[in-house]
Amino acid sequence: MEKRQDIVVGLIFSGIGLGAAWMATEYRGASGNYPMALGLILMLLGAAVVIKVIRSARNEPRPLIDAPAQMIIATVVAAVYVAAVVPLVFYTASFLVMLAMPLALGFRRIVYALVVAAVFIMLVYLVFSVLLDKPLPREAILSLLTAGG
Amino acid sequence: MDFYVNAFTQVMAFGPLTAMLGATLLGVFIGALPGLNPVMAIALLLPLTYSMDPLVALAMVAGIYNGSMYGGAIPAILLRIPGTPASIATTFDGFPMADRGEASKALKIACWSSAIGGIASAIALMTMGPILARLTLFFGPAEYFWIAIFGMASVGVMVGSDPIKGIMAAVLGLLIGTMGIDNLSGQARFTFGQTWLLGGLDLIVVLVGLYALPPVLQLAEKRDLMGLSAAQLKLADAPFAKGELRGLFPTWLRASGIGIGIGVGILPGAGGNIAAFLSYNAVKNASDDPDSFGKGNPQGVAAAECGNNADNAASMIPALSLGIPGNVVAALVLSALTIHGLQPGPQLFHQNPTLVGGFMMEMLITSVLIFALGGAVATRVFAQFQRLPGVLLVPAILILMCVGVYVINGRMVDLWVMLGAGLAGYFLEKVNVPLAPIILGMILGPMAEQSIRRALLISRGDPTELFTRPLSAVLAVLTLLIVIWPLIRVLRRRRSTDIPPTT
Repeated sequence: MEKRQDIVVGLIFSGIGLGAAWMATEYRGASGNYPMALGLILMLLGAAVVIKVIRSARNEPRPLIDAPAQMIIATVVAAVYVAAVVPLVFYTASFLVMLAMPLALGFRRIVYALVVAAVFIMLVYLVFSVLLDKPLPREAILSLLTAGG
Repeated sequence: MDFYVNAFTQVMAFGPLTAMLGATLLGVFIGALPGLNPVMAIALLLPLTYSMDPLVALAMVAGIYNGSMYGGAIPAILLRIPGTPASIATTFDGFPMADRGEASKALKIACWSSAIGGIASAIALMTMGPILARLTLFFGPAEYFWIAIFGMASVGVMVGSDPIKGIMAAVLGLLIGTMGIDNLSGQARFTFGQTWLLGGLDLIVVLVGLYALPPVLQLAEKRDLMGLSAAQLKLADAPFAKGELRGLFPTWLRASGIGIGIGVGILPGAGGNIAAFLSYNAVKNASDDPDSFGKGNPQGVAAAECGNNADNAASMIPALSLGIPGNVVAALVLSALTIHGLQPGPQLFHQNPTLVGGFMMEMLITSVLIFALGGAVATRVFAQFQRLPGVLLVPAILILMCVGVYVINGRMVDLWVMLGAGLAGYFLEKVNVPLAPIILGMILGPMAEQSIRRALLISRGDPTELFTRPLSAVLAVLTLLIVIWPLIRVLRRRRSTDIPPTT
């Protein structure tokens, strides 16, 4: 076990439990009893994790992130993609992330990435929009083209 | 018998048949790609099944599950990289066989063993499931409450390395399950004034985040820019010697690859990887030549693959009859049922016999399909997908997650919830907090809460109602045993180390 990490985990869970139990006091009757009991149990379990770690003699280092740079890049690109879905809508944002993510992670075969992105987006379109007929917002680029035309 | 005849007729329609065929192929493909796993694939699939017929949706789940458990053997044998955690034991003898030019034979053995394990498991499900479900006719609200708590306690304790963290995860899941409007009183709980939280957190949105995003981030961390070369994936033909295949029957039967897999599957919390390891060890111990294991003994491949596929349908026995998922895939099946408005748990067999029977049939048929679809030709084709660089799979899976999650409710906020759940899942896994109990808590939480409140209403607030009925008392004792068992084990271990050795 990694002592510092486990203490933080225990404290976070205890905090969530305490917060939930406190919020549950505002709910009337039986609606509040059940979440309050759960919150208190969670708080006690979090405390148990902390106590167990403090009493243990073992402390094995355990990296929280194996490759921090790649993990952060992937998370940031994923968050930007989700944010970009609102203005650009799915297929345009998805095509761009298919190129941006591999490039950000160090992939330099642009033509390969372009071909894979085009084929994949075509497949996603066929599955979601044609085969399953799922309603997705109208692409921003199509709206612009229509307005321009 | 009518139960299965009716179900068989429904399953043999065009929709479910096509779904089983396509999903089994897709499952083999997913299992063959290291980094992708059946849990992630089924989690991604679930949002798409909203508008489908339930039998078609479940056919896809069955196909992906059985197919991917075999597919995991492909990279395990060719590259010593387990495609899924359940195929770790397959690497022990599969890779040495490939190393001496018998990859094709090892894959054939894995294919046959997976199919046989899957078929035996499906038969166990079809025979034991209805019997167990009949027992549940005697259940009242107190028993339902204890069933839910027993399921969560056992999964919490058995999954992962630290039982306290497992139970903590289950309680967190229960707490998340209380978010939104309380069905019994109409009180809004933990909504923070947000209207989109009135319905609670969507199970599938959280599930896709928790189970699909961490592997995506891990794939990004590996930064695979090249994929595999054609030479690494070359398969030479190695035909069976006379009687060689027949010699595997004792492994499949006598050496109990099947029995162990089924037993482990029924046990909540244990998974295909444990089944594979136990089967492998049982075969090795029973062998006349145990030293040949780990050096390319075909029986090792047969035992591991038979064991891990025998776990598949068996894990559905407690899930379908009691509402307790034996593993995460079983929890996903219960989610699929919830999507279609069906209440997982004891009443499922009585209210929807065709659907439950149909799903059992689908587990059987997709296992048979592995014989036909998992042969050397298909394996060769699927192995080629490993030539794709991993960094291209990262955005592809992310897109599938986002589009899939968006189409559930048509809300952008769900994408952020999914991303948040995924990041939480990534870090929770790193600090050894298992994810399965969280999902299980979310699924079983509402059932547990409604049952305990009904039981207390019936008993006019007397909590002894929860312990005095014979069945609920047994379940309460079992739950207590499950929770204190790790503690007893620690005390016994401590005592044995304290006793000085006698000379």
